[in-house]
Amino acid sequence: DVRPGALVLCMDVGFSMSNSEPGQEPSFEQAKKVIQKFVQRQVFAENKDEVGLVLFGTDGTKNGLAEDGQYENITVHRRLMMPDFELLEEIESKLQPGGQQADWLDALVVCMDLLQEETMGKKFERLNIVLLTDLNVQTSADQLDVIIDSLKKARITLQFFLPFPVDGEDRADGGGDGPGPSAAPVRPGKGLSRQQTQGLEMVKNIMTSLEEEDGLEEVYTFSDALQKLSIFKRIDRRPMAWPCHLTIGSSLTIRIVGYKAVTEEKVKKSWAIVEAQSHQRDDVKRETVYCLDDDNETEVQKDDTIQGFRYGSDIVPFSKVDEDQMKYKSDGKCFSVLGFTKQELVRCSPFMGSQVVKVFAARDDEHAAVALSALIRALDSLKMAAIVRYAYDRRSNPQVGAAFPCIKEKYECLLYVQLPFMEDLRQFTFPVLENNKKFKPSESQLSAVDALIDSMMLVEKDEDGESVDVFKVNHIPNPQFQRLFQCLHHRGVNPDDPLPPVEPWLKRDLERPQAVSARCQTPLQDVKTKFPLKVVVKKKEQKTSADVFGNQEHAFTLTSIPCEVSHFNRRSLFQVGSVNPVRDFCTLIRQKTVSFDQACQQLTHRIEQLLGNRSPEYYMKSIACIQAFRDQGAFLTGIFRSSGICSSKVKNRPSAHVELKTSCLQHALLFSDALTLISKDEVDGSTFSKQDANQVLTAFYSLQLTSFKKFV
Amino acid sequence: MAERREYYQNEDDEVEEDEEDSGGDYKISGRDSLVFLVDASKEMFIKGEDGEPSNFDMTMQCVRSVYTSKIISSDKDLVALVFYGTEQSKNPRNSFKHVYVYHDLDSPGSQCILDIDKLLGEKGAQFAEKTMGSGETSLGDALWCCSNLYSDIKLRLSHKRLMIFTCRDEHHGGDGAKDRQARTKAADLKETGVVIDLMHLTKPGGFDVSLFFCDIVSPPEDESELGLQIEPCRKLEDLQKRVRAKELKKRSQSRLTFSLGEGVNLAVGVYVLARTATKPSAVKLHRDTNEPVRTKTRYFHAHNGGILLPNDMKRAQVYGKKQIVMEKDEVDEIKKFDDPGLVLMGFKPMDRLKLHHHIRPALFIYPEEEQISGSSCMFTALLLNCSEKNLFALCRYIPRRNTPPRFVALVPQREELDQSQTQATPPGFHVIFLPFADDIRTVDAHVGPTASDEQVDKMKEIVHKLRFKYKSDAFENPVLQQHYRNLEALALNMLEPEPIEDLTMPKVQMMDARLGPLAQEFKDLVYPPDYNPEGKPAAKRKTAESGGGAAEKKAKVEMSEEELKNHVAKCTLGKLTVPVLKDACKQFGIRTTGTKKQELIDALTMHLSK
Repeated sequence: DVRPGALVLCMDVGFSMSNSEPGQEPSFEQAKKVIQKFVQRQVFAENKDEVGLVLFGTDGTKNGLAEDGQYENITVHRRLMMPDFELLEEIESKLQPGGQQADWLDALVVCMDLLQEETMGKKFERLNIVLLTDLNVQTSADQLDVIIDSLKKARITLQFFLPFPVDGEDRADGGGDGPGPSAAPVRPGKGLSRQQTQGLEMVKNIMTSLEEEDGLEEVYTFSDALQKLSIFKRIDRRPMAWPCHLTIGSSLTIRIVGYKAVTEEKVKKSWAIVEAQSHQRDDVKRETVYCLDDDNETEVQKDDTIQGFRYGSDIVPFSKVDEDQMKYKSDGKCFSVLGFTKQELVRCSPFMGSQVVKVFAARDDEHAAVALSALIRALDSLKMAAIVRYAYDRRSNPQVGAAFPCIKEKYECLLYVQLPFMEDLRQFTFPVLENNKKFKPSESQLSAVDALIDSMMLVEKDEDGESVDVFKVNHIPNPQFQRLFQCLHHRGVNPDDPLPPVEPWLKRDLERPQAVSARCQTPLQDVKTKFPLKVVVKKKEQKTSADVFGNQEHAFTLTSIPCEVSHFNRRSLFQVGSVNPVRDFCTLIRQKTVSFDQACQQLTHRIEQLLGNRSPEYYMKSIACIQAFRDQGAFLTGIFRSSGICSSKVKNRPSAHVELKTSCLQHALLFSDALTLISKDEVDGSTFSKQDANQVLTAFYSLQLTSFKKFV
Repeated sequence: MAERREYYQNEDDEVEEDEEDSGGDYKISGRDSLVFLVDASKEMFIKGEDGEPSNFDMTMQCVRSVYTSKIISSDKDLVALVFYGTEQSKNPRNSFKHVYVYHDLDSPGSQCILDIDKLLGEKGAQFAEKTMGSGETSLGDALWCCSNLYSDIKLRLSHKRLMIFTCRDEHHGGDGAKDRQARTKAADLKETGVVIDLMHLTKPGGFDVSLFFCDIVSPPEDESELGLQIEPCRKLEDLQKRVRAKELKKRSQSRLTFSLGEGVNLAVGVYVLARTATKPSAVKLHRDTNEPVRTKTRYFHAHNGGILLPNDMKRAQVYGKKQIVMEKDEVDEIKKFDDPGLVLMGFKPMDRLKLHHHIRPALFIYPEEEQISGSSCMFTALLLNCSEKNLFALCRYIPRRNTPPRFVALVPQREELDQSQTQATPPGFHVIFLPFADDIRTVDAHVGPTASDEQVDKMKEIVHKLRFKYKSDAFENPVLQQHYRNLEALALNMLEPEPIEDLTMPKVQMMDARLGPLAQEFKDLVYPPDYNPEGKPAAKRKTAESGGGAAEKKAKVEMSEEELKNHVAKCTLGKLTVPVLKDACKQFGIRTTGTKKQELIDALTMHLSK
């Protein structure tokens, strides 16, 4: 029951917005993009906030206050509503530059009026107005105090988006975790018109009186907004409060409230399955059946199943009821101190879980605040942390975690992180690196890397000697969402188009900063020459059919087929034996002790014999034989043709395949690529057409599928 | 949870949580196996001084803990327990004298644990004496027998390890032939891929590895001399640690290229050193036979009943009444930004890494020389330089195909050994996941009064009383432990499960005893007498809406000097109310000429900036 917020986007479309410096995008286009992206995000994140759109500087006038020539050229384009696709399409097609100018303060009043009217009787968590303007219009400031007053009264917050920064200073961001505005590219005051300078003063005036010293942090530039959509965070959902008691022993209790401060934000919506033609969800029915692990896959009714758990090699039947009754029961939510320990001991340990919880004293409880403050300050000065048992509620599993003290300029809190259980840890031992003579880098190698590191520092000193982080990951919005929304938007508007490429700015956000890239060129070349890095060519890669057929020299993956006579006994052979028929066959052909015809006959005989035994080993052997046949076949096409034996031999093969169906099939998987019939393309003399070969293959594949399911 | 997984929901999550097991790697590479070859000679049963357990007892405790952990964490692995130097013989063909195969190579089950329990403690020693006894020793025969165990296994084994537990550095009393035979058999085993480790235990006069065992055991992985210089294990913990370190075959989650840019690429293996162990999912069984049952999921057309193949289905999401349809491939493609790998962005000082920027357990990387030769050297150079300069490397990380990127911090860690020369921390980089802007939530800080020095000092005493040395493996997961105890009880037909000790519960009595009067003293300092922190919050005092209101509440509480100084430094004393300022003046014994706000502020500023 999170009450949504209400927000009015108020955009200047007046003629000055269409002006631009050469080579720069007009403010109008930039502002439109900001709005578009914002609404896109709202639509796809399914944000419950209601959004209205007010345009000023429009040729027409349409608003509730327009009277007697006042509030002219201001259009309420859309009243408060959940943003939807329609709004996106409207922004795309109908949002056009206007030919007039209108007072932005008047527009603000119209927005306030709209908010007040629309939220009457409803309770919204937040009311917010977002003004996008170049301030390039004469404004009457006489009502300013009244406006500020009513903004305060109505608890409406403001955000400004301007083409230029409010001042040139790069304000350090507040707590170090919240994203703040980045350094502005242009200094203010330069090239600003009188109206703009005056307007800017008013903006400052309004913002500071609304939010005291932090007010100016809510004034952004268009380019900022485009790069870092995360600044829209303030209208995002607030984390849920988790009230609890911090306990130390049995008698010391402090009332606390926890908030998830950092946690991985996941894509909220999942994909439903629809029928490909009708695009209807209801056309697809899903059925889950239970079956025994026997040859017939005997189906079992769901009611006839019970649950069990593996205990090593045993499976122990353990009904859901029993399990619930016997399982570990936690006695509800808690945040109990188990003891205190040195921070450094905890920092060595891996952090678990997927969140960090900020713990404050209960709101409006000054005694709890003092008590918790004493704990935070004590821990901080001793460089210690509390080890606590944490349980979110009665149903959740308890955790052991560490609570670190955190003292900021504006507030104090504990930061809770989950620590591992013994069962979670894997102690791996790795071979020595730095004392290993083989891998020890030389002095020159070390200095090359040293130079590379120096050239690739992402923290630089600015003119004032302050270090500035030029690549703040926590200011980058997760590209996954942006990309998803982009694709959804695109597909929604153009259902038949292929997906668009990743937007260039999004890609750029993920790249090394250009300055760093340029700086590291030379050191990187140096590193390249000093370190010999060579890709090791794997001798035994998994074979694809191309490998097998493209290169006859290759040995078979599992059963090697030695083709060089020198590898084995040179003793003359006269017969294909059963121990290693493939080798014998190859030798016979090389040595020509018997005719090719005879060798083939002997091998066929052996294959038939092998297939008579239904065991995997024999099966594999026969596969290898067929493979050898094929290899030699393709190799000796000429002989095949002249001897005319080919057809009789190949004809034997379908029967082999039939046999295969009935024998152990799991291994067929490994050979799927390797075994096809010799088709016409390969061997001229073959009586099999390509279609025939394919047919057998298809049958084969389907067999593999079933066998795969069975054995894996 | 299971229900929610239907309909491909959370498909991504599942993929991400699956680790090496899903890569197909595990299935293809077969199972791990471990043989415990334990000396059962008289020497092993000699009790330590001061009632310390005998070497045999220690070994059995250690073996038991490996068995239980195998059952929990890797129930597919095979384990065997073989004694040598016994009087009795028991082995598959009974072809070896004085070798007693207690457990054949198999995945351990509940019965195995019970069997080992019989060998524990004083009674265990008697039981061992009765069933096996101590007799002649022939390590060669024992090794031969073990090699038969391996070869009798029909399953494909990926990793074969044999651990010899003994406290005798010399086995055959100078019988050269037997020594030779042992060496030959050890060499045979090693040739078939078995890694032989020596878990040598204390022996009066010291254990001399070079006498005999140096030729038996496998050379250490890294060819340094470290392996054999290790001191014998004296304590159970040491032994357990050493066994545990070797018991699991380290297997990388994936192998990736780590690109420094411009074609400078090295290969690294990604390892999971900590992963949340969860209760395994239930297996469906047939009610009548207790046979495992498989589930098959099929899709069919609602109207014509025909089976739908993957091609007959598409994916869709609805936004604002509009259905957006995509192919399954397209859904995957959306997640693709680049090929899998690590790409270096640059470096930052360690202090830029925020403690509270945690979203996932970290991974660990180590070079893969077999993929790209020269990786180890480059990796070492990076490691040394980063660690020397106290920097971390910022990288873009794509773990596998069609996975969106995340940024990670590579935090250098150099190798450290503990007292017993076992690796305490391995060399390599920790891979710490960094949050994107979306992952950080806006939290409204609660601003309240802060504690005075006196209050902080009292808390320091409390903290001091309750300090302990944290170790990451000190806490067992009570949920898992209870689950396995339950299973154990059911499997072994016990009346009720063995009680677990819930280590996550605070030891309240002990804490209270240690604190003594401190808790009350602290409460007296921070809480008024009528305040009950456990009760419902007192009715909120109605004050002005914000800002000023908070300041007013501070009136009740004395301000610390530090806090006031803070206000002075920031020229924000004006924000405090007159009563607060008056109190502050009193607190420091400042005489004021007037009671006007500015006068109070001036007086305080004068006093505190001295």
